[in-house]
Amino acid sequence: MKNAAVIFKKEIKEVIRNKNIWMPILIITAIFSIVMPLVLILGSGSILKDEDTINFINKMFGQVGDPLKVLIGFALKQLLIFLLILPAMVPSLIAPSSVIMEKENNTLEPLLATPIKTSELLLGKSLTAMVPAFVISTINFIILIIVVDTAAFIKLGYAPLPTVEWVIVAFLLSPILSFILTMASIIVSSKSTDIRAAQGIGSVIILPIYLVIGLQLAGFFLLNITYLLIGCLILLVICPLVLRLAIKIFNRENILTRWKMKA
Amino acid sequence: MITVENLTKKFETITAVENISFNINESEIFGFLGPNGAGKTTTIRMLSTLISQTSGKMTIDNRSPESDGEYIRSIIGLLTESPGMYEKISAYDNLDYYSSFYSISNTIRKNNIKKYLKMFDLWDRKDDLAGTYSKGMKQKLALSRALIHKPKILFLDEPTAGLDPESAHMVRNFIESLKKEKTTVFLCTHNLEEASNLSDRVCIIKRKIIRIATLSELQSDDKNKRVEIVFTDDADRYIKLMEEIDEIKNIQTDKNKATLVIGKPEISNPIIIKKLVDSGAGVLYFNEIKATLEEIYLDLIKDKEAK
Ligand SMILES: Nc1ncnc2c1ncn2[C@@H]1O[C@H](COP(=O)(O)OP(=O)(O)OP(=O)(O)O)[C@@H](O)[C@H]1O
Ligand SMILES: [Mg+2]
Repeated sequence: MKNAAVIFKKEIKEVIRNKNIWMPILIITAIFSIVMPLVLILGSGSILKDEDTINFINKMFGQVGDPLKVLIGFALKQLLIFLLILPAMVPSLIAPSSVIMEKENNTLEPLLATPIKTSELLLGKSLTAMVPAFVISTINFIILIIVVDTAAFIKLGYAPLPTVEWVIVAFLLSPILSFILTMASIIVSSKSTDIRAAQGIGSVIILPIYLVIGLQLAGFFLLNITYLLIGCLILLVICPLVLRLAIKIFNRENILTRWKMKA
Repeated sequence: MITVENLTKKFETITAVENISFNINESEIFGFLGPNGAGKTTTIRMLSTLISQTSGKMTIDNRSPESDGEYIRSIIGLLTESPGMYEKISAYDNLDYYSSFYSISNTIRKNNIKKYLKMFDLWDRKDDLAGTYSKGMKQKLALSRALIHKPKILFLDEPTAGLDPESAHMVRNFIESLKKEKTTVFLCTHNLEEASNLSDRVCIIKRKIIRIATLSELQSDDKNKRVEIVFTDDADRYIKLMEEIDEIKNIQTDKNKATLVIGKPEISNPIIIKKLVDSGAGVLYFNEIKATLEEIYLDLIKDKEAK
């Protein structure tokens, strides 16, 4: 375990210095946690001048209370799902570069020749991806709450966040998702030499996010606590599977000699 | 210290190493020679528990890589073929990082880092980023890394590649000095002079083992026996004469000197001398000369290719 800590300590410093990791994160945070919520909330008044929108809202939510409040509630459900982008993206930016860069620079072979256990190496590298994912996601969560509450307070006179749903997403669903993507990134990076391909798997997660947004817009369902918990359960079942696969694939021989496969 | 029995390694379609067997004794320097792609690095990787064999057995310090990989890794040092360093951290931090995975006390560790950085003349540049090091400096840093935990067995994959003559000389002396500390050295090199000066035994491999022997054993092979004759005048004058002597298998001349490859010296030498003197050749000197490892190596590889 001491060895995993040594690895984590060294690698986290490199992550902190790596602009290629920070730039996309800053951009995503700016778009999804600042610009988008401001536009959605501050701009929602003007949308309500449109007949069709009012009809859509009435159809979907029944005629309950202030349409503006309902609309913002709906917008928040959409924003909720964007909370998952960073926990998915951060590990898939960090983990591949931490494995593949070592292959490219030939630093991995001497490392593997030390008495270190592969499990310690795997743990060290996973923490390097998961800890920043959690920290960044949490910071992002807090920024989003501040932005949304401030905007909503100005517009409606009350602060709608945080809700139980948001807390579930931030502290349950996000870490689980980070774990799965970390393992998936490590599996792909063990067998590949192509950083971009390995990082690409992070973007695959965008598809289900679009799907959920699409389905919500089309009026099929709305995210609620039950759906979110079901989502967590399904992902939790996947966790031990990816972990086992990662342990199996992340062994000395694989990392050192399987160069051909492209992800 | 190391035993290898019928070891074979196949990568999907290529057999990199086939059925090799050898034993290496404690504090022996074992020269491992062969052309590019002969399977040298692959063998080192198997012995250092980095990759598994397809078939066959091996033990390192009486333990097997399958069951005692961690122990084996704790007593070996590996200088890899390409000496990779974390380019964005200092040379010192590189050594500090790698050495922290061995169970040695911090004081000894720091002392050793200092000792080797000083020995390789890198101490003044220890705080520079490893990425700013020259090729040879990186190689020396990698050597330090392989030595820092005082390994019992040292695997060196081309240790002097890229070093300037002075550093190469220093490294060779150092390898030689390891004998006193009973370190076993597995030395892969393309520098045959280096191999012949350092190795107790050499192993010549090209996928399969071609030959394992000491240099003097190799030199006493019949086909490696040579004599040198110095004539009183130009050796070319006697070429025709020498060609008629059956005991002489090959002739090379250079001014007054002729180098002859002969069979059994105790039989051929008297005959050659008698025939030359009887024909009136002015023989000044007649010496035994030893084939160099390079000549022997090239010969063995050529033979193997012919087969
Ligand atoms: N990971 C791998 N996948 C497939 N083939 C490999 C792999 N590693 C080595 N080989 C093949 O095994 C053979 C032996 O390679 P190896 O690196 O052991 O040679 P070598 O003796 O060290 O050569 P050199 O003197 O050039 O360093 C070569 O044909 C090589 O292509
Ligand atoms: Mg090699």
